[in-house]
Amino acid sequence: MVETSLGVDDSKEKVPRTVREILTEMKDTSEVIVDLAYASLVFDSEDMAEEVHHLERRMDTLLYHIRIKAMLSARTRRDAEQLAGLLQVASSAEAISNAAKDIVLLLKYDSDKRPFLPIVLKEAEEKIKSLSLADKSDMVNRSIGEMGVESETGMRVIALKRGKRWLYDPDETTKLKAGDMLIVRGTDNGFEVLRSFASGERRWPQYPQPEGA
Amino acid sequence: MDDLEMMLLEVKDTSELMVDLAYSSLLYDNKDIAGEVFAMKEYVDELTATVQQEAIKKALADGDVSKSFVTIRLVESLENICSAAKGIADVVMKDVPLHPVIKISIRESDVIITTGQVAEGSDLADRTLGETRLASNSGMWVVAIKRDRKYIYGPDERTTVLAGDTLIARGPSDGEEYFRDLMSGKAKLA
Repeated sequence: MVETSLGVDDSKEKVPRTVREILTEMKDTSEVIVDLAYASLVFDSEDMAEEVHHLERRMDTLLYHIRIKAMLSARTRRDAEQLAGLLQVASSAEAISNAAKDIVLLLKYDSDKRPFLPIVLKEAEEKIKSLSLADKSDMVNRSIGEMGVESETGMRVIALKRGKRWLYDPDETTKLKAGDMLIVRGTDNGFEVLRSFASGERRWPQYPQPEGA
Repeated sequence: MDDLEMMLLEVKDTSELMVDLAYSSLLYDNKDIAGEVFAMKEYVDELTATVQQEAIKKALADGDVSKSFVTIRLVESLENICSAAKGIADVVMKDVPLHPVIKISIRESDVIITTGQVAEGSDLADRTLGETRLASNSGMWVVAIKRDRKYIYGPDERTTVLAGDTLIARGPSDGEEYFRDLMSGKAKLA
C-alpha cells in the first residue's frame, strides 16, 4: 500500500494499516516518550533527546493517518460521534508527545542551570535509573521477554546502550549482552532486585512448568 | 529538596497518575475515574501557578533567571501532559458510547491495565503495598483501589489493601496472570 507523502522526514516510514493498530502504537508511544524525555534529563543525553524528537515526528504522522482513516470509515452520524471520541484520544496522545519534546528542549540549558532536575526525578515515585550487566550475570544472552524482566522485578527497560549504540524501547525479543547499560524505570525495591540479578549476585529465578503444560 | 522542588515533583507524579487513570477510565468506561482526572487537573493547575510564582520570586531574590526559567518551562510541560490526560478522560464523560476500537487498542498495547478483586485469604489482604512489594513482585503498579463505593487514587507503599478491594493496575501483559492469582489467593507471594 502506498502512503501519501507528508513532506516530513518520517513520511517514508511504514504506517500501520488499521485505526486499531495506529491507536495502539500512539498509546504505547505516549507512554514511552515521556519516560525517555525524563531519562534524557537524568542522564544528560542528547542521543535520547533525539529519539524523543523522532518519536514526536512519528506521532504527527500517525495522527494524520488515523484522522484520514477515521473519516473514511464513518458511515452514519453515530459512527462519526464515536470516531470523534477516538480521534480525541489520538490527539491527546499526540499532545503528550509534544510535552515530552518540550521537556527535552530543556537540555540546551547548561546542566548547572538545571542541577535540580535529576534530583527531583530521582525522588519520584517511580524512578529512572541505570545499571550495567555483568559478564557473570545469567541475564546475559537471554531476551527481555523470555525472562519477563518487568513482571519479575517491576522494572521496565526503557532503553539500553551497547557500546556506543542506543536501543530505545527494546521489545521482548531483545537479547541482553554483557556490558549492556540498561536504563530502567520502577521502584527502589524493584531496582535492588534487578541490580542483584544484573550483577550476578543472584540467579534469575526458574519456575517449575505447570503440569500438563 | 526545597519546597519548590517538592511541588514540581508532586506535579510530575500527579501527571503520571492522571495518564494512567485516564486510560483506565476509557478501558472500563468509568465516569468516576474520569471525574477524578478532572478534579486532579484543577489541583495541578493551582500547583502549577504556585510553582511558577515561586520560581519568579526566587529569580528576583537570587538573580538566577535561567534556573527559574527551566522550572517554569518544565512545570508547564507537565501541566500540558495533565491537560492531555483530561482530554482522554473527557471522551468518557460524553454521552456517546465509546468506539469499541479504543478498548481493544488499550488492551493490546505494551503496557496493559487490569483489574480484580482481593479475596479473603489473599496474600495481599490486610497488608500494605509496601509490605507485599506488589510492584516489584508482579510488575503491576496499582493506580486505584475501589473500596465499597469509594476510590483511593494513586495509593502508595503505606496504603493497606483489604479483602474485598478492587484493584486497578497497569503493567506488562505477562504480569497479569500472577497478579490476578495473587488477588484470588490462588498464588502465594514468593
